[in-house]
Amino acid sequence: MNNNTIVLRTRNERLALRLSRHTVRVVAVLGAILFASVFISLCLGSHTTSPTDVLQALIAPGESDMALIVREIRLPRILLAVLVGAALGVAGLLLQGLVRNPLASPDVIGITSGASAAAVFLLTIGGAAQGSPLLPVAAIAGAFAVALAILALAWIKHVTPGQLILVGIGMASAMGALITLMIVMSPDTPAMNAYLWLTGSLYAAQWGDIFGLLPWLAIFLPLAISRTRHLDVMAMGDDMATSLGSALNLNRLILLLSAVALAGSAVAFAGGLSFIGLVAPHMARNLSRSGATGLAFIAAMMGALILLYADLIGRIGFAPRDLPAGVFVACIGAPYFVYQLYRMKH
Amino acid sequence: MTLLLVLISFVCSLALGQFSTSPDALVLALIAYDPASTSHLIIMTERLPRAMVAVLVGASLAVSGALMQSLTRNALASPGILGINAGAMLFVVISAAYFTENVPLSLIWAAFLGAATAASMVFLLGRERGSGSSPLRTVLAGVAVTALCVSFAQGLLVVNQERFGSLVFWLAGSVSGRGLDSLWPLMPLFLGAALVCALLTRQLNILSLDDDVVRALGQRTGLVRLTAGLVVVVLSGASVALAGMIGFIGLIVPHIARALFGRDHRWLLPACTLIGAALLLIADIAARFVIPPEEVPVGVMTALLGAPLFLYLASRKSQSL
Amino acid sequence: MVLFTGIVWATPGSASEQTAQTSASSQPPPERIVTLFQGATDNAVALGLEPVGVVESWTEQPMYHYLRPYFHQVNYLGLETQPDLETIALLKPDLIIGERGRHQLISPLLSRIAPTVIAEQLYDFKALLKLIGEAVGREIKAEQLLACWQLRVTDFREKMASRSGDGWPQEVSVIRFRGPSARIYYSGFARSVLDELGFTRPASQQNSGWGINLTSRESIPAMDADAIFFFMVDSDPSVMETYHKWTQHPLWQQLEAAQAKQIFRVDAVTWNLGGGYIAANKLLDELYAHYTLDPRKPAASMKDCCQC
Repeated sequence: MNNNTIVLRTRNERLALRLSRHTVRVVAVLGAILFASVFISLCLGSHTTSPTDVLQALIAPGESDMALIVREIRLPRILLAVLVGAALGVAGLLLQGLVRNPLASPDVIGITSGASAAAVFLLTIGGAAQGSPLLPVAAIAGAFAVALAILALAWIKHVTPGQLILVGIGMASAMGALITLMIVMSPDTPAMNAYLWLTGSLYAAQWGDIFGLLPWLAIFLPLAISRTRHLDVMAMGDDMATSLGSALNLNRLILLLSAVALAGSAVAFAGGLSFIGLVAPHMARNLSRSGATGLAFIAAMMGALILLYADLIGRIGFAPRDLPAGVFVACIGAPYFVYQLYRMKH
Repeated sequence: MTLLLVLISFVCSLALGQFSTSPDALVLALIAYDPASTSHLIIMTERLPRAMVAVLVGASLAVSGALMQSLTRNALASPGILGINAGAMLFVVISAAYFTENVPLSLIWAAFLGAATAASMVFLLGRERGSGSSPLRTVLAGVAVTALCVSFAQGLLVVNQERFGSLVFWLAGSVSGRGLDSLWPLMPLFLGAALVCALLTRQLNILSLDDDVVRALGQRTGLVRLTAGLVVVVLSGASVALAGMIGFIGLIVPHIARALFGRDHRWLLPACTLIGAALLLIADIAARFVIPPEEVPVGVMTALLGAPLFLYLASRKSQSL
Repeated sequence: MVLFTGIVWATPGSASEQTAQTSASSQPPPERIVTLFQGATDNAVALGLEPVGVVESWTEQPMYHYLRPYFHQVNYLGLETQPDLETIALLKPDLIIGERGRHQLISPLLSRIAPTVIAEQLYDFKALLKLIGEAVGREIKAEQLLACWQLRVTDFREKMASRSGDGWPQEVSVIRFRGPSARIYYSGFARSVLDELGFTRPASQQNSGWGINLTSRESIPAMDADAIFFFMVDSDPSVMETYHKWTQHPLWQQLEAAQAKQIFRVDAVTWNLGGGYIAANKLLDELYAHYTLDPRKPAASMKDCCQC
């Protein structure tokens, strides 16, 4: 153990996390920024609230309108943004490590499309109303179904991780066609509901959504993080991985499962958001050169920040209209892509 | 034989539709056109332009895909997958939504610009440090760019809920609704592109060999690549301006053509033209009958047909040609 | 036609179903109303209320011209599909009126802000009027308005029958140009009002469902009827282009309605977008004028009517 790393161990020393000091610093700074951003977002909305009022609403609950707005309307929405963004960021990181390609993400591979197809099916042909509790269930089921199909194809045909992406892309296209078909066949209101869902929106987030999402994150985030070190090993190539003693296939499966669960549940509660899983890991890599474990924390925070600010712009940028966060995630993701291109040339 | 297929599809496209027309009406409409007859009217004013658009767009997309696959030596390259169609569509949507006219001629410049932008983005993103482009990375870059464009377009749709109908048209693709008068101005473009392709066939044949051989033969690869790229942008852009996003034609048809006719571009490109035309005609006919009496957008049909083939291609051992 | 409405009452802290009578007698009638869809806004105004918060209209934003004279201090809440929850809360309303298809998602939040009524459907303006009347304690006024409407309907039918003789009832189609396609309505606001007035529909349009979207001009003959009423929102250029292309097509010229010169453009706001009592009456006014019928009715029976 040298001076540059910090190792966190559980009491019985069975689980240990090794993080470089640099990473810890970055995580701490990001954490502070996140905390501040959450607070700022709580103050902003159609009507700006002063920080003291916000604090009062949070700590000393009364029945004033401001308390209602802060506690029931803004807080669940902001927390949902943080949780969904974090889940997507980590899911993207896991997938990129698993297929060993930095351009992979849950939307590219078809997981988001599978979830979207199931949700759109419910909204259009299934005739469900917008707030139906069946929607998150369907979305998660759709995500897993697609993942299962991709895995089955991969297993039958013995594909490499790279080919896994291509299969995923094919799935995404097929799902996309189905989604378009269902939307075209529906009358206006379900069709517009479906499009709103597809773009990804945190409008009307409520505490029920948070409680629905939290179990998924509580289970799969720790599970993923405990195994992320295998991603570093995998990145060195399959032969090296086996010789270094990590149980390759089991770990791969668990990481894939976690990625699908995280992405599927995130999408289930926030709609078909794309790009966060693609962009957050890249940003994380730009901030720190640490291994996958440290990157996971950073990617989670970057994802949370991206979605938080995208939603903030949607909320206050076009008052009194409330625009979906998904539109602005693309607005943030695109310039980042261009920046990536610029960096690659130089 | 493929010519026969195309002709049959063309005739079927004219003969079949929601409004039932008899075969002799078809013959009469072509020979002795009677403006008072509803059947004749439908055939000549609705189905004929529709079939012609399908032929042109199908052929363009197929040739475009063949060129891209030869240029990048990537079996999965096509204007739809590599984001070129999406880029063109996004720019078209923006200009159609905010700058009045819906005539293909005025939208065509937006389409070209969009196609060129998307192409350069994908090209740059697809390069790995040092070694040039890898097939997989290029495809991924294309997917990312497509997702970017589609999500912007969908965002526009949500912001502009009043314009909902027309945006869905562009996103889903359709060959109906274009009159012959919007086709004529674009014909020079298509013919010009065809001419350039004919001239380039020999160069393209050489280009699909190994890099070292190519250099040894002394060909000016840069110029050929650029010209071919330009043709791709023109053909794809024009197709999108006419018919919206229609995917998979550029992917599937070159493979079929290569299986039937080999890799020599002198045969490959004309074959792609014919097969592409036939495929889109068939897809359009099918689109009329899937959920009667409504029509499915033809882009959805091609995707439903093409996705399984894409999956098959993707799970093969190697993605290079 | 089965008219079905549901009422969902929810007061803060409890979600119980109460009858309108109990609440009307135990609490003062709501004064600060928020309406979250166009039909509700129209009907609230018809009942003599000025809502404190309304959602924006689909065209003629922020509010249709025909309703603007009634609004002096109204707050706009954004789009019907995503109304601004914070502003609603800050308005401290006594009653919120939403609609199941659009506002199901936010109804729990709305119930925390104020008692909320969620209507089950959009198009039956009479059921909607009754619903809102009960919610605001103006049932009597609602009954009056509906009685007025009934009188007008009966009057219209009598006058049309005597005017057209054998030509009544008349077959009409309701068409809208939207985006790159045209649509025929089998149900919906305009269609249901026309049905009530006695108009029939062509045999090909007897299906259930909202209607049909026609993407190809091949299907123009499906629109044919004794008369065609069409509307569109002409601020959208693609709509105007579609309109020109379709109406200049030979198939359009060949429609029986075209040859008899019985194709008429009507106001989209009144026929499709407004969705309430006032819009329905304006629609009827348009029809009276169109068929050159005398709108004045026998004075005795209409003394209390607000539309006379």
